[in-house]
Amino acid sequence: MSLFPLSVRGAQTSRRGKVLVGPLDLDLRGAGVTIVMGPNGSGKTTLLRLLHGAARLTAGQITWACDEAQARREQAFVFQRPVMLRRSVLENLMYPLQLRGVAKPQARTQAEDWATRVGLDGMLGRHATHLSGGEQQKLALARAMITQPELLFLDEPTAALDGRATREIEAVLRAARASGMQLIMSTHDLGQARRLADEVIFLLHGAVQEHTPAREFFDAPKSIQARAFLRGDIVE
Amino acid sequence: MRTIILATALTVWAGIVAAQDVMRMAVTTSFHNSGLADVLLPAIAEDLGLEVQLLVVGTGQAIKLGQAGDVDAILVHSRTAEEAFIAEGYGPYRREIMYNDFVLIGPADDPAQTGQATTAQSALQAIAEAKANFVSRGDDSGTHKKELGLWKQAGFTPDSFEPWYKAVGAGMGAALNTASGLDAYILSDRASWLNFGNKGGLAVLFAGDPVLFNQYAYLPVSAERHPHVKVALVQKLEEWLTSARAAELINGYTIADQALFTFNAKP
Repeated sequence: MSLFPLSVRGAQTSRRGKVLVGPLDLDLRGAGVTIVMGPNGSGKTTLLRLLHGAARLTAGQITWACDEAQARREQAFVFQRPVMLRRSVLENLMYPLQLRGVAKPQARTQAEDWATRVGLDGMLGRHATHLSGGEQQKLALARAMITQPELLFLDEPTAALDGRATREIEAVLRAARASGMQLIMSTHDLGQARRLADEVIFLLHGAVQEHTPAREFFDAPKSIQARAFLRGDIVE
Repeated sequence: MRTIILATALTVWAGIVAAQDVMRMAVTTSFHNSGLADVLLPAIAEDLGLEVQLLVVGTGQAIKLGQAGDVDAILVHSRTAEEAFIAEGYGPYRREIMYNDFVLIGPADDPAQTGQATTAQSALQAIAEAKANFVSRGDDSGTHKKELGLWKQAGFTPDSFEPWYKAVGAGMGAALNTASGLDAYILSDRASWLNFGNKGGLAVLFAGDPVLFNQYAYLPVSAERHPHVKVALVQKLEEWLTSARAAELINGYTIADQALFTFNAKP
């Protein structure tokens, strides 16, 4: 059973009495690549954490089409700065499979396959913490995707990378999209959003300003704030 | 603040607190589900300039991550496993930080009549006799270990149970959801229960037996076994976790006006 549609009703999260995001209403149907955009502090990361269940919901509901246990199994999350286990590339890739009880030989085969897919096949024995930033992010992506989740959250996955690494990461994301994986990704990079997005959620002050197909958002944004954001103005 | 989740899928998330120092700590899903980490980690970053990266797993996995040197410290709640960790040389000592308690959750109409039990042992016996649906974490977590220990004390071995006993191999939130969907009994730590948003027809049916005490302890990972362990940062965090500031935040953390944890670190 699919995770989608995902229904978000009155979702809100607060810390020490301060509302960080919400109340939010959203219906996500699994559009392919959903890009979350908005100025700094608009709540992009918090929205992703809320959807993933990593931030505590202080009001409202988030309801997946399947049960919660399946929803958890079918999601993975990748962040801007990857955190590697202090092990080899191969062991990092095998770890999530071993947590799921996959036998070592099968886990190794799958790990080698995913290393090849992201261009790390020559580095299996290297210590993960010794990789470059781009290589670490490719490893983080492969490690997140190796269990073949239906949905992958990505929070600014290329913000700290150079152009070449960004291109390689985007190629991996396109391949994931083509394989049927759903992506919900925040980015402050307008060019990247144009290259990847199927739909856009535009956030401001923790609230959804627009949620539209990507073409509509970029060609004819409805709100003044989105138009200003796309022009490169400072939006407050 | 940055958190890694290593449950059934491996996920990573990061906050926006800029900190100079970084260390890693494996914590239990029940601790993380309580929401307390969202209060403590920003305060730690603010007070110490220390980013604590969390690896959120069951106690069994947390201990394995500590054994492998993947983390600098662990915060778990299974005394027997903690003492074995120390005895095997993976950590120099354990420091108790706080406690909450386990509660027996079940359908509000309580078909096994556990609400009439006087001990946790007799509550479980009532469930087994009624063959009422029971959801087990089944994930080698501290909560799972506790549940197995309670069954053993009650004179049962879950391996012999019929299909009414369902081991789901999942974290606390997911297991509670399964129990909610099945109208089943389940053992939960109180914090996760209070923080759980999909209670459905479930309610707390039994609590208060001293055997349900749930002590959380902080264990540094041995720098002798793993020289890359950040000893100074581990020490710094330990001092903070046992400080008056931590006591105030831990004791002051409430959901629905109920305190979830009691600070009990000794100076």
